[in-house]
Amino acid sequence: MDKEAAMAEGHKPLKLLYIEDDQRAATEILAMAAERGDHLVWESEGATGLRRAGMEPFDVIILDRMLGDTDGISLLLRLRDSGVGTPVLMLSALGRSTDRAEGLDAGADDYLAKPYEAQELFARVKALRRRASGREHSAVLLYGAFECHVKSRTAFRQNKHLALSPREFELFRYFVENAGETVTREMLLRDVWNMDFDPQTNVVDVNIGRLRRKLEDGFATPALETIYGTGYRLLTGK
Amino acid sequence: MARRSIFARIVWASAGLTLVLLAGLWLLTDWTVRQSIREAAQDQVDVDLAGLVDIYASGGQRELELRIKDRLAFAPIDANTPHYILARDDGTRIVGDILAWPALDAAVSEAGYITIGQNTAVFARATRLGPELQLVVAREADGGAAIRRQIMLAFLAGGAVILLCVGAAGKLATARLGQRIGAINHALYRQQTGALRALLDPEKGDEIDDLAGNAANALSRLSRLMAAYRDTSDQIAHEIRTPLMHLDRRLVRALEAQPGEAASARLIEAREEIRKLVSTLESLLDIAASKARQGDRHGLEPVDLSALANQICELYADSAEESGHLFSWKIEPGVAVEGAPMQLSRMVTNLLDNAFKYVPAGGQVTLTLQAGPVLVVADSGPGIPVAEREQIFDRFFRGKQAKAQDSGSGLGLALARAIAERHGFTLSLDDTETGASFRISGSR
Repeated sequence: MDKEAAMAEGHKPLKLLYIEDDQRAATEILAMAAERGDHLVWESEGATGLRRAGMEPFDVIILDRMLGDTDGISLLLRLRDSGVGTPVLMLSALGRSTDRAEGLDAGADDYLAKPYEAQELFARVKALRRRASGREHSAVLLYGAFECHVKSRTAFRQNKHLALSPREFELFRYFVENAGETVTREMLLRDVWNMDFDPQTNVVDVNIGRLRRKLEDGFATPALETIYGTGYRLLTGK
Repeated sequence: MARRSIFARIVWASAGLTLVLLAGLWLLTDWTVRQSIREAAQDQVDVDLAGLVDIYASGGQRELELRIKDRLAFAPIDANTPHYILARDDGTRIVGDILAWPALDAAVSEAGYITIGQNTAVFARATRLGPELQLVVAREADGGAAIRRQIMLAFLAGGAVILLCVGAAGKLATARLGQRIGAINHALYRQQTGALRALLDPEKGDEIDDLAGNAANALSRLSRLMAAYRDTSDQIAHEIRTPLMHLDRRLVRALEAQPGEAASARLIEAREEIRKLVSTLESLLDIAASKARQGDRHGLEPVDLSALANQICELYADSAEESGHLFSWKIEPGVAVEGAPMQLSRMVTNLLDNAFKYVPAGGQVTLTLQAGPVLVVADSGPGIPVAEREQIFDRFFRGKQAKAQDSGSGLGLALARAIAERHGFTLSLDDTETGASFRISGSR
């Protein structure tokens, strides 16, 4: 999605603090943030990162699990102890579910395993900001020509009702919540189906295929874009 | 069977032993008392008889008759009641309260226990006084019944008190011991560092503390080992995943430059390879972690296995339809287990993935879940050769079929089994004629 379209859909720039000792990873995320128009502050050391987090308000803090001078969990505990409630997304090369649970127990709001897709990182950060601002409880989610009525569990495209099964609705809702972002296979597996691993079979593709047919049947324009080797993105549907 | 505390058993056993000892003591006392009463009766009979023989010798038959009557008139109250018969040679009674001559031979001064009147047991001795005269002196031998009843009552009352005391003392002693053992058990079960440290530094230093200390020591050593293992595997994961991530990023950048269809396809394949490598690494670490934590209930939470299996089945339903498989499931609601939800999901999906991979289109795959839990994933595929039935659970083992298909990492079933065992379940392959049937069953 290009920048103008993002702005048109109401993309509010993010203010992020990124604490990471891996320079190569940081350079890339910095470039990506600049491209998206988000404001990202990078700190390579835990101590300075902690100071920075206490000084300035951020939308979300992205924190690496293993830092050169300290480890992410203890830094997070100190952060929470000092009263900083900013949502924290923890990054880690340790992807196992026990590590994940440990990170979440320590007060992280979300956990992302390396290697991750840069798109997924930003989608998660946006989701965290949305959750923090309490907007995720809105009854009707709108994106382009799509409407997602959360309570009545109904979906519309160009005011036309879409007959979705409960599972398809959950999937659709996830796409609308992450509208404009690339949704990766890992995100779908974890957030929609509760799996922190990729099954060998093509369950993701098949379920996406079904949803795609429901969203596109009878319309002239595509609804879902496949980004090869990465994931999917919801289009405006206009 | 209900679990019985060793302490309850000790209390019950001591109470039982006390009861047996008391009963034995009472029987012995009773027997002794009876014996001495009988001996006293015999002595009294002999002394009495000797006295009467003397009286006959000095005073003659007339005097003897008077004396017997006197004695019968003034029966002693503090000794066994006496009975007499003075009779002629043919047994005809002259005087006395025994009405018929008993079966005792006076010629040899026979003595013995006999019954007189209406079932009165007596010790009696007969003797010949002259050619025409014979005498029997008897004393009641079942005397002392009152004393014996008193002794029995004393034993009953005293026994009850002693039993209560033994029970109470046992309870008190074992309650303290039980508390200590309970605390030790709790600490060992929870395996919290603080609790374990408390076990290593006991207050008393008796045998129980020694035992607890040794167990805590072993556990601490184990948890240090676990920590060391975790650190190492974390570092390996970190050191391998980070460069893979950079590699993947480069491929993404190359893809972003839109290099043409053929090159894009190659790049996407390369990314897929990286994904597989990461997933293999993860599986290996998960297998190791699951094996290391086998039997360790720490960190497990209540999981609705029925709901979890249902969700997975629904997720697989569409893809099964698409691939032309007949997939059905029968799940008993409310099957709850203690577990790690993500791992249990992984265990179930690995079994389903395995089935869908080897069952040709048109084949059947079924999942059933019952309380126990018993979870079975069965298929109508080619089955597994008998020779390979145990090997398929080995890491990196790939059967003939898998080799032919050239897919899969060879870790799926190994991981499923490791996860099952980490939860205290078993994963085995049923002995089927056709197809394959994987069974997870819980022993708890």
